[in-house]
Amino acid sequence: MRASSRLFRSIALVLGAAAVTTELSGCSGGSQSPAHEKIRGETITVVMPAPPPPKKLLDRFTAQTGVTVKWNNVDFDSITTKVAAGGAARTYFGDVTYFNFLNGPQYAKLKWFLPLDTLLDPGVTKDTLGKSAFTYDKKLYGVPWDASVGVTTLNKSMFAKAGITSLPTTMDDYTADLVKIKRAGIVKYPLSMPFSAAEGLTVYWIQTTVAFGGASIFDKHGKEQFSSPSSPGYKAAQWMISALKTGLVSPGAVNDGDSQAQGLQAQGLSASSLVDYAGNVSSLYDDPKQSKVVGQVVYLPVPGAHGPVRSINLSDGIGVPAFAKHPAAAAKFVSWLIDGKNQIKFGGAGASDEVWSAQYLPSNYPALTTLNAKGKVGDGAVLLNILKNHSQPYFPYGTPEWYPAFSHAVQTSLHAAATGTMTVPDAIKAMAAAATH
Amino acid sequence: MPIPSVHEKSVRLTIPPAGTASGRPIARRKGGLRRHPAWLPYALVSPLGVFVILLTLVPAAFTLGESFFRVDLFDPPIRFVAFGNFVDLFRSSAMRTSFANTAVYVLIGVTLSTVLGFIMAVTLQRRFVGRSLLIALMIIPWALPGVAEGIMWLGIWGSDTGLLNSALTSLHLIDHYQVWLGTNPLLTIFVIELVQVWEMTPLSALLILATLQNIPGEVYEAAAIDGASPLRTLRHITLPLALPGVTLAMVQALVGAINIFDEPYVLNGSASTGASAVMQTYFVSFQDLNFGEGYALSLMITVVTILASLVILRFIYRPVEY
Repeated sequence: MRASSRLFRSIALVLGAAAVTTELSGCSGGSQSPAHEKIRGETITVVMPAPPPPKKLLDRFTAQTGVTVKWNNVDFDSITTKVAAGGAARTYFGDVTYFNFLNGPQYAKLKWFLPLDTLLDPGVTKDTLGKSAFTYDKKLYGVPWDASVGVTTLNKSMFAKAGITSLPTTMDDYTADLVKIKRAGIVKYPLSMPFSAAEGLTVYWIQTTVAFGGASIFDKHGKEQFSSPSSPGYKAAQWMISALKTGLVSPGAVNDGDSQAQGLQAQGLSASSLVDYAGNVSSLYDDPKQSKVVGQVVYLPVPGAHGPVRSINLSDGIGVPAFAKHPAAAAKFVSWLIDGKNQIKFGGAGASDEVWSAQYLPSNYPALTTLNAKGKVGDGAVLLNILKNHSQPYFPYGTPEWYPAFSHAVQTSLHAAATGTMTVPDAIKAMAAAATH
Repeated sequence: MPIPSVHEKSVRLTIPPAGTASGRPIARRKGGLRRHPAWLPYALVSPLGVFVILLTLVPAAFTLGESFFRVDLFDPPIRFVAFGNFVDLFRSSAMRTSFANTAVYVLIGVTLSTVLGFIMAVTLQRRFVGRSLLIALMIIPWALPGVAEGIMWLGIWGSDTGLLNSALTSLHLIDHYQVWLGTNPLLTIFVIELVQVWEMTPLSALLILATLQNIPGEVYEAAAIDGASPLRTLRHITLPLALPGVTLAMVQALVGAINIFDEPYVLNGSASTGASAVMQTYFVSFQDLNFGEGYALSLMITVVTILASLVILRFIYRPVEY
């Protein structure tokens, strides 16, 4: 009964929320093309884990297209539930929604989202970074609206205080530097790591696997590549647990998710995070309201076994659910959201009432370079180089459709190893079993 | 059809005789509910009845049927597997752990919220200055969403910057910060369930208080004349007469504890140390998209809830008449 109730409740909630959400803009006018005439007067429901873009810009979108946007700010987990409930029940819950690329293969295989190739105007995604993560069977099901990759961040002041003059490029150097910072007493726990059993832990392990020389944790046939003790995935798990056991990471990290781990660095309680999110220097570490280390944290290409390695792509996407009522209007909104000119405004290069706090980094590369040139991207030069030249898909051979179940096994097993209720070999065994199953 | 006297009385008390209320004769329609007043209660509850049938009983019947089928969106078609889903659930160690965790949640949750609720209700039984305000404030934890409470309590239980560690360290009761969540399964469940107890206890208190308000003052006066001590009065008068409210409080605590989701998910993630059966339903249904097992698990949770409620009714409930 609970699953069904949850399903019914989810649908009812979405519909209820859509009914009461404030209408963000009203008037229409502007465009004259036949496509625009078709969608004129339509109202689309957008379900995103973020506050809405500035009203001024949304009003302009309505004026140009005649499409009114109703915005629902819903958390990540609830959106996943709504997508599953809506897809399984073949029911409408929104016209545009957050698209988690890790669930993408599920969504694509079950046809819960519409391919965007034919919906979007040609060339709209030409300059969009990270598209490959949203492409399944050669069709584009989602588009990144925010660029992000796994990247190392470190507090250069703390490193300098410990007498470290050059930034680490290998894992051995990086580990030795952290030990040096701890021994110098600069900070008790120099490394931030989210050991709570949540998605952030899987992301951390996969990027650390890349750091130890693994291109992917699965081969092109989907076979796991981490159960051998000499494999990068195995070494990554060992390194992570060892960092916790040797006091480089706080014992309390077993309760920390991404935001708590990043918060420790922002409060000056840790010196570095091997796997952080691109965009956090501007949006967190350099924000005086949230940070005590303004101007001290910089990006660093992720150190590897023999030198810097590629960063995994972690872009947030949007898509159009298969049961959207207004797919053409929805596609018009998607195009508008990823448009370079708008993303420049969202990023703070225009008027102050056009800034959209939910966009950490624009997914449009020219927009990103423009914002960087205007000094709107913290430590932008390093970041731009990583995004353009040193990033790779999360799974180079494609995300398996059973990824959510596998990720669940990774989270619970590594968390158990961190809390001491499981050994590292047993944790790896459980993760491998989930991958094989 | 003979009309039970209680209905006649109720109708006479609540509806003024037609035509006399305003002093003017009122045009009446013959037939309908006036001619068949016994139908009035059914007419009044019918909207709720339709609501319950459509949103509870129909999905429940659907769940019951589907739990015997393999409904895996990645493994079509849907096919009959008899008790296959149930067998698979019991084979899963994660599932068995979540059942055990849930049992502990129930044990701690029902016991603590009932005992604390009873103490609070007895405290509030007598009128004092600020009583109404206190009752209003008590409701706040119950009214807050579980996720908000989880996030708030994370600030208390937190291992790096938590309030509890800070307070205990300041009082020199501990010399270094402790990890309350995730390391010891029993401690983890206890700490998580305390949050739910904090949320549920006010409702338990109000349910018991409502029963206590019905106890005639003469009963206490007689006890006082007979020289009964306050403890003896509590044990032999208040507690037995409060049992209907206590039963209700225990059942609501039971339902809450069996369905615990937000608190462990926010405080402890999906870790097995705190995972509940309902969390597993979410993982199976919405992560793995294996709805057949999800239905089976939901059915099991429902059956256990009903059975445990019946046990409470059988052993705790006593009818009270004044």
